[in-house]
Amino acid sequence: MKNISTMKNISNIHPTRRRIIQAGMASSAALLANSALAQETTLIPSRGPGDTIDSSVTYADRSPFVKDAKMRGSANGLSGGGLTPLQNSRGMVTPSGLHFEVHHSGVPEIDPSDHKLLIHGMVNDPKIFTMEDLLRFPSISHFHFLECAGNGMGEWLAPRSKTVQQTHGLTSCSEWTGVSLKLLLSELGVKGDPKWILAEGDDGARLTRSIPYWKAMDDAFLAYAQNGEFLRPEQGFPLRLIVPGFEGNMNIKWIRRLELSDKPWWTHHEVTEYADPRPDDKIRAFSFFMEGRSVITSPSGGMKLDGPGFYEISGLAWSGKGTVKKVEVSTDNGNTWQIANLNGPVLPKCHTRFTLPWTWDGKETTIMSRSTDDTGYVQPTYQEMYKLQGPIGMMHNNAIQNWHIAQDGEITNVRS
Amino acid sequence: MSVHNRKKIIALSAVAIGLSFGTLYASAQEKYGFGHHATADEIARYETDIHIDGKGLPKGSGNVALGKEVFDVQCAICHGENLEGMREMGTQSMHEGRRDIAKLPHSTALFDFIRRAMPLTDPGTLSNDEVYGLVAYLLNETGVIKNPDLTLDAKSLAAIKMPNRKNFIIDPASKFTAEDLKEE
Repeated sequence: MKNISTMKNISNIHPTRRRIIQAGMASSAALLANSALAQETTLIPSRGPGDTIDSSVTYADRSPFVKDAKMRGSANGLSGGGLTPLQNSRGMVTPSGLHFEVHHSGVPEIDPSDHKLLIHGMVNDPKIFTMEDLLRFPSISHFHFLECAGNGMGEWLAPRSKTVQQTHGLTSCSEWTGVSLKLLLSELGVKGDPKWILAEGDDGARLTRSIPYWKAMDDAFLAYAQNGEFLRPEQGFPLRLIVPGFEGNMNIKWIRRLELSDKPWWTHHEVTEYADPRPDDKIRAFSFFMEGRSVITSPSGGMKLDGPGFYEISGLAWSGKGTVKKVEVSTDNGNTWQIANLNGPVLPKCHTRFTLPWTWDGKETTIMSRSTDDTGYVQPTYQEMYKLQGPIGMMHNNAIQNWHIAQDGEITNVRS
Repeated sequence: MSVHNRKKIIALSAVAIGLSFGTLYASAQEKYGFGHHATADEIARYETDIHIDGKGLPKGSGNVALGKEVFDVQCAICHGENLEGMREMGTQSMHEGRRDIAKLPHSTALFDFIRRAMPLTDPGTLSNDEVYGLVAYLLNETGVIKNPDLTLDAKSLAAIKMPNRKNFIIDPASKFTAEDLKEE
């Protein structure tokens, strides 16, 4: 540890001497790590002192060897988004730069010093808050997943895509920090008996959704930070609504206005693509919750197992209605199920990493996972989901995902 | 310190002050006081939404003919000349499926959405007359109100009962029932 503390001042030292010190530090670190290997270590070729510390680089980038990337696109340039590369995800948090995104009218660039939030309607004292005002309130931080209601919509009728990024990449998980909506509303004083809140974004579409008032009294908050820094523009900088466990679209980005009312607005988004058509011509509206779901992220579609032997099955589980209680994994096409490890932390309305040690015998098989949350809800199969929603019901697809493993180790997306 | 604790402490000190001086001053001190009061003028500048009872609908009017004129110039390039949708532009048919105009539960949201979000590359530039005209054109074109002379304004638009409203069911998990959301 001594070496690390001396590093702080090393950039002030003459370059030649700096290189010598760094080389010395590197070799002593190697010795400390394992003195028995010292002799072997000296045989590793071409080990230089490393890159100099460039004071102009103030925001660290990834190693050039790490290539994980969102799949990003848009038919018209303004409505579209990006899918998170879940296949290489570790732990439960999604790096902010890889967090999925869905936009309906582009990504606005907002100067936080110009941004304001109006809260009005059924309140005693309608107010306008600047970002400075909002930052002065007591803050809260929570880890929550966000999932687009359309995550896996293309998979509804048949397995169409190859990788878990394509089938499930519209879910991500972050630590969000901001101000409790309940606190802000108590600041204004609620008038009468409001039931709904209109949340409006400051994107081109001024996207609006009706949020139940009870959610504001429960756990909704206005986030200005994500994973320890201010929000990324595509995540709603400088301010977004977080309604934990509710479909992504309701977590209004670039939020500019909240209006309290006794009735919902039945806005465009809540009655068209974010409502669920049923086989009997009924349309289910106000289906806010993202229900219990899980998926094996590794090994998964598009990967190839390198022959029989040990593999760790790893995946993510989450529930918009509560906490993941149990994840079961089947490695024999759903005939038998084993309880997976929940790696923790296991938090409500949050991605939960599960793992299961597995030795592949080299035979063709299909693997899958099934989650249960603390309300007792068990993740359904596609057959069960078809009964609930008709052929055009593509939203809120939380069915069990199967990955087929061929004898040569090739993994593909299948339905069984 | 949690908000709850903070309030508790404020309340306790208020009680203490009250006991000492015989007066309670708790309520004023419970607020942080950040932000400024929004005047009616300020709210009017922000507020652009239309409620289902028509509250918020602006002055003006437009008919099917005006709507068609605007549609052909501003909308057809992405939505197709006959509202059929253009996959390459990311739009869907307005005659069937999820964007079927006839399936909408209220006409107010149609007005609201066109006014706030369209045209995609230049939202907020249509006049109120043009938006009324577009709603009239779309309702006539999709057969919801078969009347090529249809003219809409705030009053007539708010009075429209969309036939598919009855097919909307409410997810019970929302904690609302059909009764809760009944419209007069």
